[in-house]
Amino acid sequence: MIVLKYQKRDEARFISHIDLLRHISRILLRAEIPVKRSNGFNPHALVFFSPPLALGVTSMAEYLTIDTDMPAEEVLTRFNASTPNGLHAICAYGCEKNPNLQARVSAADYIYPYPYREIDFSRVVIEYQKKGETVKEDVSSKIFSARDEDGMLCLRLATGGVNLRPDRLLATLDGIYGIKGSVTDIIKTAQYVAADGKFVDVDDILS
Amino acid sequence: MASFASEFEKLLPEVEKPGRYSGGEWNTPDMSSPARGDMCFCFPDLYEIGMSNLGVQILYDIVNRAEGFRAERCFAPALDMASKLRERGIPLLSIETKKPVKDFTVVGFSIGFELLYTNVLYMMDLAGITFRAEDRKEDDAIVIAGGPCSVNPEPFAPFFDAIVCGEGEDADLELLRRVTEGREKGLTRAAILESIADIEGVYVPSLKREGYRVKKAVVKDFENAPYISKPLVPTVESVHDRATLELYRGCASGCRFCQAGFWYRPIRERSAKRCASLAKDMLKSTGFGELSLCSLSTSDYTELEALEDELSPYCRERGITMALPSLRISSFKPDMAKDSRKSSLTFAPEAGTQRLRDVINKNVSEEEIDKISVAFEAGYDSIKLYFMMGLPTETDEDIAGIAQICRRLKQLYQEKRHKRGLNISVSCAVFIPKPCTPFQWEEQISFEEMKRRQFYLRGLLREIKGVSFSWHGAETSVLEAALARGDRRLSYVIEDAFRAGACFDGWSEHFKWDVWQAAFEGRGLTMQEFTRARALDEELPWDFIDVGVDKKYLARERELAYKGVTTKNCREGCNGCGALKMGRCTIL
Ligand code: SF4
Repeated sequence: MIVLKYQKRDEARFISHIDLLRHISRILLRAEIPVKRSNGFNPHALVFFSPPLALGVTSMAEYLTIDTDMPAEEVLTRFNASTPNGLHAICAYGCEKNPNLQARVSAADYIYPYPYREIDFSRVVIEYQKKGETVKEDVSSKIFSARDEDGMLCLRLATGGVNLRPDRLLATLDGIYGIKGSVTDIIKTAQYVAADGKFVDVDDILS
Repeated sequence: MASFASEFEKLLPEVEKPGRYSGGEWNTPDMSSPARGDMCFCFPDLYEIGMSNLGVQILYDIVNRAEGFRAERCFAPALDMASKLRERGIPLLSIETKKPVKDFTVVGFSIGFELLYTNVLYMMDLAGITFRAEDRKEDDAIVIAGGPCSVNPEPFAPFFDAIVCGEGEDADLELLRRVTEGREKGLTRAAILESIADIEGVYVPSLKREGYRVKKAVVKDFENAPYISKPLVPTVESVHDRATLELYRGCASGCRFCQAGFWYRPIRERSAKRCASLAKDMLKSTGFGELSLCSLSTSDYTELEALEDELSPYCRERGITMALPSLRISSFKPDMAKDSRKSSLTFAPEAGTQRLRDVINKNVSEEEIDKISVAFEAGYDSIKLYFMMGLPTETDEDIAGIAQICRRLKQLYQEKRHKRGLNISVSCAVFIPKPCTPFQWEEQISFEEMKRRQFYLRGLLREIKGVSFSWHGAETSVLEAALARGDRRLSYVIEDAFRAGACFDGWSEHFKWDVWQAAFEGRGLTMQEFTRARALDEELPWDFIDVGVDKKYLARERELAYKGVTTKNCREGCNGCGALKMGRCTIL
């Protein structure tokens, strides 16, 4: 198994998760990276993703697991020679078995386009549209921490099974700051797996 | 000049499927070096539809390969994007470099369907392009059209400075070249238009006088004609999200209702060797998991077997599916079913009785319908049947024949599989008399008659278990027929309809029948004036285009139709349609 850590930015920010699945299978075909296929009636390539990224958000830390026997270095070069602008792998890890990031990732860091300041997140109610209806939700338990990242606001948010979409916090933050932020200015910088009550960076698990 | 790129980008997260507009598709050519002249290909439908259009991709590729020239694309934005653009005062932009469409040297619309005419105006409006060619200013872009609807360009001719009739492979680039040179030399708009008028296939509406003729553009050397070896890979899933290979152009069957079958004559095939190498190039450069072999009647392709032998192992090794659309029953082979992963078959008998199939020259006999049992043996459990309603000479007996075919298929299925459970879906379009066919003089049945026949067929099919029925809207069929055989007066109707809110007319949820009716009335016209029967000696709006196929040949075919006499497939020998004078039919 090879796990690629890749960036999704520029035009590629606007590739939806469903479309991304098709893009990846095409990239792998173009790159001629031999991917093992599942058995069964409708065989499919064995590739696995980390949790879906909200549309429009830039990410510096997405993960793609590929079941292949090709050496990690070669997968990395071939992959990068076949990606459209905005999708770019930064490193490749070899691993024994599928790290199952889709299920295990539970948090991610996002840098927001606002200068850092201390904010009381003990009660945050967001509003969003779901199937034509307005939903109100208290998401304070899904905001794990806030910190200063080079002067900008960086939040660690629940990701995966329990999830907080980073764009849904924008309206709240706009209200606090009195300026309008755009989804396209949010940057995801790291993903975490919970272990022993701590968040461990996925990179540390893989290396 | 202000750049709209960054402002535009801010809109993207606010609209549905932003990937429609973001660009950056794999295989996008490098756009960084300056171009002498550029052309924006505009497709008047959504990204997902336009990206599946083979013609646009071929032409885009040709222009981008030419030194010093550049092609970009623009699709009709969805309504949500359109209202945001208007709100922020951003004009329609090209996908690649986000340049305002109206600032291109040439703006070229590809029009493939009559119900897209209002969408052309929708895009011009968003782009800030003046609708009527005569009202455009000296420095405005040269706005042209092309695509299948150029078979009768008159209804939309006043909106364009020039129209490419026929195949654009040679004409488009030559036109762009001459317009660019004209601009460089500082020629007037009128002089520029005159300079392109003698390019084969180019029609300049403002120069049309008594006796004006245009010769349809035809690719002479189809074997070596440029083809897209690096198709763009769509960002958002498109309707035909796969590599598409065109095996040949034209059609040897001669179905009398089929416009494409006559319009794309002479019949020109590509060799299996070249097809196979093109297909592999495309698959390699895109990573598509599906290859579609596409032509008007793919299974008639002379070297189909050789091509399949060459491509099957290649595709199998890589897990790529090969799709063969538009199979004809007469060329069905049992192994076709086994090889395919699909469990549903598609067949188009078009008419319910042998008599009517002879009238339309659809070469499908009762015995051949019986051959479908081979497919049942091979494991198929469902079948899609395509028919047309309202064909010339059609009676209720012919419609009852459709139900008869369904019963027969169910019986065959039961004999072969010893069980019930065949699913049949019957889809029935309304016959639309189209220019450049033997039926170009026919009337379209009335609106009421369409409804009556649809109702009658629905009743008959309801009695058969396992049959589902869908039909085309009678309203859109009448409008399509009126626009297809219209003249320049309709440009006013189209403009009025657009201003009154008609747009995306091909989408049933957007189609506004009352708006269209009012638009015709407002100009003192009715749709029936255009759907009526035409006299054989009447001057038809598209007569000035030389399509190769003689008008006399079409009239003779029509006569044979009325006698119920069929015409042989061109593969058995030339029928003398006249297309040979435009190039060789390679099947002969
Ligand atoms: S009738 Fe002859 S010229 Fe016309 S398409 Fe057929 S083979 Fe070609």
